[in-house]
Amino acid sequence: MTETGKGDGEYIRRFHPLRIIEHQANAIAFIVLVVTGLSQKFHDSSWSDWAIMNLGGIDNTRLIHRYTGLLLGYLTFQHILIASYGVIAKKWMPFMVINIKDFTDAIDNLKYYFGITDSPARCDRYDYKQKFEYWGVIIGGILMALTGLTLWFPTKVFHLIPFLPGQIIPAAKALHTNEALLAFLVIVIWHVYNSVFSPDVFPLDTAIFTGKISKERMIHEHPIEYERLTGVKLEDHSEKDVAETEEEPDIKSAS
Amino acid sequence: MLNRSAFFLLASFCIVVAFSFECHAASLPNEETAVCLGCHDNREMSLTFKNGEKLPLYVDSNTLLGSAHKNLGCSGCHGFSATDHPKRQFKNRRSFTISISESCRQCHSFKKGIHYRMVNMLTQVVCADCHGSHSIKPVKESGDSCFGCHKYGISVTFKNGSRQSLEVTEEALKNSVHNKLRCADCHFGFSSKEHPERNFQDKRNFTIITSETCRRCHFDKYTKTLEGIHFNMLLKGHLEAPVCVDCHGSHTIGSGTKEKIRSAQRCQTCHQDIYSIYSMSVHGKSLLSTHNQDVPVCSDCHRAHDISDPRMADFRNNIPQMCSNCHANEELMRRYGLSTAVLQSYLEDFHGVTVSYYKKQKNAVRHIAVCTDCHGIHDITRTKGPDASIVKANLIRRCRKCHAGASESFPDSWISHYEPNFKRAPLVYVINLIYMIFIPFMIVGLVLQIILHIWRYAVNR
Repeated sequence: MTETGKGDGEYIRRFHPLRIIEHQANAIAFIVLVVTGLSQKFHDSSWSDWAIMNLGGIDNTRLIHRYTGLLLGYLTFQHILIASYGVIAKKWMPFMVINIKDFTDAIDNLKYYFGITDSPARCDRYDYKQKFEYWGVIIGGILMALTGLTLWFPTKVFHLIPFLPGQIIPAAKALHTNEALLAFLVIVIWHVYNSVFSPDVFPLDTAIFTGKISKERMIHEHPIEYERLTGVKLEDHSEKDVAETEEEPDIKSAS
Repeated sequence: MLNRSAFFLLASFCIVVAFSFECHAASLPNEETAVCLGCHDNREMSLTFKNGEKLPLYVDSNTLLGSAHKNLGCSGCHGFSATDHPKRQFKNRRSFTISISESCRQCHSFKKGIHYRMVNMLTQVVCADCHGSHSIKPVKESGDSCFGCHKYGISVTFKNGSRQSLEVTEEALKNSVHNKLRCADCHFGFSSKEHPERNFQDKRNFTIITSETCRRCHFDKYTKTLEGIHFNMLLKGHLEAPVCVDCHGSHTIGSGTKEKIRSAQRCQTCHQDIYSIYSMSVHGKSLLSTHNQDVPVCSDCHRAHDISDPRMADFRNNIPQMCSNCHANEELMRRYGLSTAVLQSYLEDFHGVTVSYYKKQKNAVRHIAVCTDCHGIHDITRTKGPDASIVKANLIRRCRKCHAGASESFPDSWISHYEPNFKRAPLVYVINLIYMIFIPFMIVGLVLQIILHIWRYAVNR
């Protein structure tokens, strides 16, 4: 989002090392939170028992969960600060901001999947799928941090906001636990698919580890950004894509 | 025909009768006895004592023949004979029996053992009381003759000077569950022959040691008591801690489980304070006023034999399961219109999860709120009706024990044992509802996109 490297032979720099560290820290915190949190949510299951007992009991599990939660909360907070600072003071381009094109892209892609159009949506630095995940993490992170703190300090909440009804505690729990499940499922299904199992990247999208992306994938997945970075128009490529996709339905219909 | 057979029947009857008389007369042991029986064979004959009591003087010859003393003539014991038949006067029948028992000493001199003690110390018991008179049998054949002595108010004196009655009534034994047992089954090593002399410090000492006999049959219960708090107190020297017979009784022992009120009252003997609190609780009131057998008594929660220390963490962490023995029982709760969701709703909550894990971890140090913290321990009240305010008042006090500075609205964060619904907890209900729709919607949508993506990719290849 902040750094856009120059074309480097076959590879193009996509992420600044700080963003890589940030992602890895987020990933580790998320995994720890999932293990310690879901094992509390599904406390009846045997693997929860196994996890909690091996973490040294329920009190230890909660301790780990809470401090890891603090870490993730901090990372989210820091990210918002840096991103805001970057966009406002350093004139970074706000690539992550959702715009109308994201919705049309999603519809275009669906059309493409159903074979109504012949080419996928042409995306910029971040496509709508990535924006969806990004904002999920930001909003979910804020939600989890607030509800988590409420559950951690249940009596303080009433001192802070005295008119709150008692119900706010079970409500915070409901929100925390449901949002956690949603986040877990989205990450496991959507994120893991898009960065590991998707045929575009299989066996692994290494961009977030190396910080680099191949020119080929860049042209395929982020054509608009590629054009902006290099100044090369990619019409030929899209035509070629069209030509390729045109052949396929014939084969399919023949068979 | 008829006359002939009748004649034969009559004739054979006469022969049998004649023969039996012949035998009878011939089998009497000696001349003297035969002479005495000449008169004492009369069922009408009797002796009237000064106080008006009557003693039949009839002696059954068959009884005499079966006795151990059949070869002694009557004068052997009575000193009477046909020629020497003094007229004597006795106050009453008892003094006659005592007097005549003196003659036993002519042959049986008791220098030691149980007989010595009996005869010399307990003047109210005489030989004939246990052994009978004309029917006297060899000891071997006399069966269980414990009652012979123990039906009288005999007693034992302990080292500290206190006395204990040794009287046992046949009536008490008949009603006990042990009425098929013999005395020696419990009083091991005792019989009319073997009657070891033992010396106890005091009555308590005697009771505790005698109670040890129960384990010979009830070993399972005995081993349980070894883990119990009462046995542990006993070990530490608190001799007032109850042993088997203190709760179950000794000769009057009844079934341990059948009567709930009796069961509770046994505990009341020592735990009077708690019993009176219990009797005012929703359970106690129901038990005492309507003899309701559904309600728990002491032993339902504390157990009967392996009673554990209720101050220990193990006991505390087991309370939800304890209550749920009844309160999660659909059939039972339906009778009282109570919800069985109470256990699950508790276990799903923070405290429930913590307690469940503390149970598994076995290293719990914190006291997590369990059923009794809000509902009361022995003073459990109804949660509906006029008592509801008591429960409510308990709640904030209990919350503050762990959550210092909890505000007045804090207890409301426990939405009772209700499933969140629109009326009782709208916020929780709505949040749950939204996610219940949103999560499947989201996941199905994402999975569909993935499938479409793979499909498109496959088609393109």
